Amino acid sequence: MAAASAPTPSSTAEIAEAPEPLPSKLDNSEPDCPRKTRPGLKRLALTFTVLFSFLLGLPFLLKSVEIYRSPLPFREIDDLSAAVESIPLQFPCKFRAVFVGIGGSSFDANELSVKIEHQMREIAAKDSTSCGACTYNSSVCVVVENGADCFRSDNDFNWKCGALSELNKYEDSGEYNDELFDEYLHSLVDESDSRGNGNNVYTMIVVRREGQKDVSAVVGKYRHGWIVGRVSEEEAVKKVASVFVKVFVNGGKEEGSISGEFMPVGADGKIVLSFNLLNADPHDWTYDWEFQEIDDNLLAPILEYLKPLADISVESQVLYHTPKSSFSYWDETLGSYIFTTKDLPFFVEGRAILQYVPSSTECPLQLQLPNGKISKSNGFISPMWGSVVVWNHAACLNGSKMETRVRHMISSEDMRKIFEVFIGQLRQLFGLKSKGIFRDASGTMRLLTSESGFTEWELDVLSRQHTCFNLLQCTTTLGSLSRLVQSLPRMIIKEEIGEQVRYSLEAAKLALSNVSAGIYDASAVSSRRARSFAEDAFYHPSMMSVSYYSFEHCFAVYSPFFLPVALHVLLAALREWKRYKQESRKFKAWKSKKD
Amino acid sequence: MATSFKFKPLTISILLLFLCNAIASSASGSSSTTMHTNNWAILVCTSRFWFNYRHMANTLSLYRTVKRLGIPDERIILMLADDMACNARNKYPAQVFNNENHRLNLYGDNVEVDYRGYEVTVENFLRILTGRHETAVPRSKRLLSDEGSHILLYMTGHGGDEFLKFQDSEELQSHDLADAVKQMKEKRRFKELLIMVDTCQAATLFSQLQSPGVLAIGSSKKGENSYSHHLDSDVGVSVVDRFTFFTLAFFERLNMYDNASLSSLFTSYNPNTLMSTAYYRTDLYQRRLEEVPVTNFFGSVMETIHTDSPYRAFSNRYYRKSKTEMPSDQSGGGNQRALEDSDVLEELADPKLNAIQVGCPLTHTWNTILGRMEKITQIDNFVNCGVVLMFPIVALSSWFSH
Repeated sequence: MAAASAPTPSSTAEIAEAPEPLPSKLDNSEPDCPRKTRPGLKRLALTFTVLFSFLLGLPFLLKSVEIYRSPLPFREIDDLSAAVESIPLQFPCKFRAVFVGIGGSSFDANELSVKIEHQMREIAAKDSTSCGACTYNSSVCVVVENGADCFRSDNDFNWKCGALSELNKYEDSGEYNDELFDEYLHSLVDESDSRGNGNNVYTMIVVRREGQKDVSAVVGKYRHGWIVGRVSEEEAVKKVASVFVKVFVNGGKEEGSISGEFMPVGADGKIVLSFNLLNADPHDWTYDWEFQEIDDNLLAPILEYLKPLADISVESQVLYHTPKSSFSYWDETLGSYIFTTKDLPFFVEGRAILQYVPSSTECPLQLQLPNGKISKSNGFISPMWGSVVVWNHAACLNGSKMETRVRHMISSEDMRKIFEVFIGQLRQLFGLKSKGIFRDASGTMRLLTSESGFTEWELDVLSRQHTCFNLLQCTTTLGSLSRLVQSLPRMIIKEEIGEQVRYSLEAAKLALSNVSAGIYDASAVSSRRARSFAEDAFYHPSMMSVSYYSFEHCFAVYSPFFLPVALHVLLAALREWKRYKQESRKFKAWKSKKD
Repeated sequence: MATSFKFKPLTISILLLFLCNAIASSASGSSSTTMHTNNWAILVCTSRFWFNYRHMANTLSLYRTVKRLGIPDERIILMLADDMACNARNKYPAQVFNNENHRLNLYGDNVEVDYRGYEVTVENFLRILTGRHETAVPRSKRLLSDEGSHILLYMTGHGGDEFLKFQDSEELQSHDLADAVKQMKEKRRFKELLIMVDTCQAATLFSQLQSPGVLAIGSSKKGENSYSHHLDSDVGVSVVDRFTFFTLAFFERLNMYDNASLSSLFTSYNPNTLMSTAYYRTDLYQRRLEEVPVTNFFGSVMETIHTDSPYRAFSNRYYRKSKTEMPSDQSGGGNQRALEDSDVLEELADPKLNAIQVGCPLTHTWNTILGRMEKITQIDNFVNCGVVLMFPIVALSSWFSH
């Protein structure tokens, strides 16, 4: 105890040195115990080493808690949306017209060209342009034929003059047929194309014949149409311009029709068409169909033709018991059960394309339109969902009895008729009309039908609209994605998402360049790809907000480990530094006093 | 280190403000141009266990109502824990009732549950809303709505201030729901959304919503409980909640051709019988409630267009000359279910009651403090400031402790 109460002087000096800086802070000019030796650096070195090792380890710590975010090209996404959304997307189209029997000089050719352009711009201005319209910048090439003379407004158009002089004889011979004439014109138009870019050139041929009283106006299956008859120059110009704008560019939609809902293509560019045959009541009769035959012969070529627009796959099924959930009433005068357009929403639960065979209690079942007439096709569509056709079979109309336990096959003739209605409905689902007539202020036009379900110019219209729609969707999706990613700075963005965004941007750029070059099919394909990549990136299942850690969480997890220790290390270093400074000052003071 | 942390939350909040403005301005223009083409319903029961029988009965009753009014199964997503009907304690096996008269068995033969049992989680719920599923998830479990869809979202269970309890193990927070709805709106997954919540303090669950086109009604306000309607002494538990009971009573009077408006539904809730205040939020909704029929959300809509004629391309026998014939019917326009004017309820009776402040002055001061704290909107900043202040306080205290 005596030993404990009297500690050795050396250790006293060591221990006593520590609290010394505090009291000596007040009067460090006159220390009571002068320092005769230089202060050592050991303590300083020790504490600073510990501090520096902490500081060195800090970047490693931060790296280890870093969230992996694949770098997304935000600037490019913004550029793309500026390019697509600021100006309405328009395609370059070329128009040509041939006038036979009107006008007679090269001046006329140029004048007609100007008049048609002017009329087209007028009509286009009145239309509220939807996505995918044409730019009306390029001039219309006109050829004027009168007897033996032939004048052009533009030398690019190699029209074979005099090719239509035989037309009179041909028509009067009685062999005239719109379809054959269409083929003949197609061969002529093809030949006349000097530059070989047949894709986006639309031609109208006007033949003036005094003898014919009424005017026949037909639009063919390819990219041309004709007007034959007693038509004045003014009328001809108006008709040609309206065909160019309303039919070739806008697809034959009449004014006031709904647009925008007719994009049945899914996000990944695929459509699944499901054809269903529904039997209402198997007690009465059951029907079956040879779908494979229909698919091979009629459906497959159409779907092949639509390939640039969408990847369409087909499935079919037959349902043997599907009762209807709405009611129809018996109408004596018409001799059949009637369901009106008001009952349609509750018709049948299901999706895609349906053919409904009514039961005996409701046979025959016919659709009555709001204007009181009975529908000829007995079918209707619902946009974005599908369509229904009600088929009353022959026995039901006759009233004869049928065997109930046997499955009856629908005859191929009936199948073909039903199929025509289906194709009409498919066209309606795409936004085109199912009937072959186009009516507007300047008159009525007949639109020829095609074996592939869609004519070439209709496919052009659809390609343009789909390209425009897909590009808009793509940019919207990418924009939403970039906003989402930027608003959640701690959400993990996988590499896959970054890749898909880059592919999408590439495809979108390609689509835009195709658009400016005027290649419709390729632009539709690349715009489809762009959209599907963008949607895949946006809907990636890893981007869920519940599964990322907020900054507070990270801080709360790591701070109890590092904060107390770090603070103490820092304070210790500071204290040692202060102490060193003071000791060296004391030493200097003593040294100066000594000297 | 301290300064960088201080600026980060500020920049993030500023960025968020800009984004919110941009999103709001871009989204507000688009909702008016699209057409209403279909209806979807998402019905979620977030409770499990026998004593929460009434929540499952609530959800099944609404499922039945919505089906009866026309929404098909493929457009209904039903999330239930589904442990009532075959529960060992159920005296009536495979039957679920919502009334003590047992007149209606809700668990009939036509119930299609999409998410059952332990699949009812917050993550799955948010995946349904945002559409971010794994690739293997089947179509029937996805919300395949588009920009013309009206969606009804009904949630019931146990809830609290700004949260909803899921299956007794996790919570859905109101800001998560608001975030999911915001993403849905950006991706145009709905045209209009009606959120109905039947839980305690239901109105707090949709207090953070910002997206336009959303209408929300909750069975009770903040601080209020929602009560069950009656106890079925035979089954042994309460079988239905009050809010849902009165909603069903309203719909039992309707059939699919009716046109009662949403305002008549919302004003039919009487706070005295409900024993809570049914609070609804219309500031994000552009249309007037008197003009919106309930079938816009609870019924079925299918826009139909008649097919004029078949596409005669496949046989020469159907060839026609252009001059001879034109089809007699000229209707190519759309047919939609006619929205007639509703002649029901013109008045806009406000069901809110003023809460009476009773109690000792201590609770009063505590309430004022709480109220003032609620007014602090930038909670994040507040918390971050507190965290940042911790540094110097700890530094100073450890300095002075020596």
